[in-house]
Amino acid sequence: MKFANVLKTLRHSLVRASCLLLLFALASTASAQTPVFEIEIREHLFFPAEFEIPANQKVKLIIYNRDPTPEEFESYELNREKVIVGNSQGVVFIGPLKPGEYPFFGEFNLKTALGKIIVK
Amino acid sequence: MRSACYKFFSLTLVLNIGMGSALADNPVHHNGVSSVNDPYVQAMEREVEIRTIFQTDERPTEDNILRQRISYGFSLNDRVFLEAYVIGTRLPDQSFELEGYEIESKIQLTEQGEYNTDWGVIFEYERQISESIAELATVLVASRQWGDWVGTLNLGLEYEFGSNIEDELDRFASAQWRYRFREAFEPGIEFYADEFTRGIGPVLTGVIRGNGKNKWHWEAGLIAPLNDTTPDQSFRFLLEWEF
Repeated sequence: MKFANVLKTLRHSLVRASCLLLLFALASTASAQTPVFEIEIREHLFFPAEFEIPANQKVKLIIYNRDPTPEEFESYELNREKVIVGNSQGVVFIGPLKPGEYPFFGEFNLKTALGKIIVK
Repeated sequence: MRSACYKFFSLTLVLNIGMGSALADNPVHHNGVSSVNDPYVQAMEREVEIRTIFQTDERPTEDNILRQRISYGFSLNDRVFLEAYVIGTRLPDQSFELEGYEIESKIQLTEQGEYNTDWGVIFEYERQISESIAELATVLVASRQWGDWVGTLNLGLEYEFGSNIEDELDRFASAQWRYRFREAFEPGIEFYADEFTRGIGPVLTGVIRGNGKNKWHWEAGLIAPLNDTTPDQSFRFLLEWEF
């Protein structure tokens, strides 16, 4: 394949892909005023285990894992999973959500690490 | 919701424009059905994956072809995931043979939910064993959630080179539109397009949890052709053991 043809194909592909991605990413912007909530993992428990967040608004969860062992924040209802290694922190964005209760759990400690987000 | 669905599938259909349809020598390379990648990486993730594609077609040279990929992958951190594949094929009236290997690196570019669309990129290197044919590919991965629906789009550019092939730059795309019904059972639809392939069909996916970190992710699909060069049926199955 001639180099000129490669360049031509590459140029066409990039233009086409750019158009597609521009469409796909429409309104793909983060809110500048995303509320922040903090929770901690200590001795394989979430603190707080229950908390409220506003409905129809994206929120940012900062999860501090105070244990030396890793934990995975997980929730099918929230469509989120995030492994947080020991003595570190992780960020999870959730929402906008409809009012209701959304359970979450720590996958590595299923019997103890349980919690619930109440959306009002 | 309707406009969002329309927009998502418009993207995949627009991509068709301008793609060629000439036939290459190896029938395995005529079928672009594989799987649709999501952009997410988890820290401390390790997995073994088995991926099977079985195709049937009225043309004898394209009928009864089996492709099998087995891989091992692990994450370096919460952004980068590395995976190595061994690829085997069984062509019509031939025995199963090792065909090649692939090394893949996925990079998660944005945090899930941080923006309306989640982004990632995948770099791939694939090498045939019996012939001097290699591929370098870059895949841009985008995923977006609309309520209980998740749309995922993969757009790829690959460069094929080697002494047994004419150097070539190809484009490929795949898309999945999935309904989050239950964790263990999520129905959806997938679309595939590349130089030869235009295929669409239903897919079922799910996650089954084991003890501790053990998790099994499964996918099964049946892709039907939208053009003459795509096999009549492509059955695909994927089983991933995360531990």
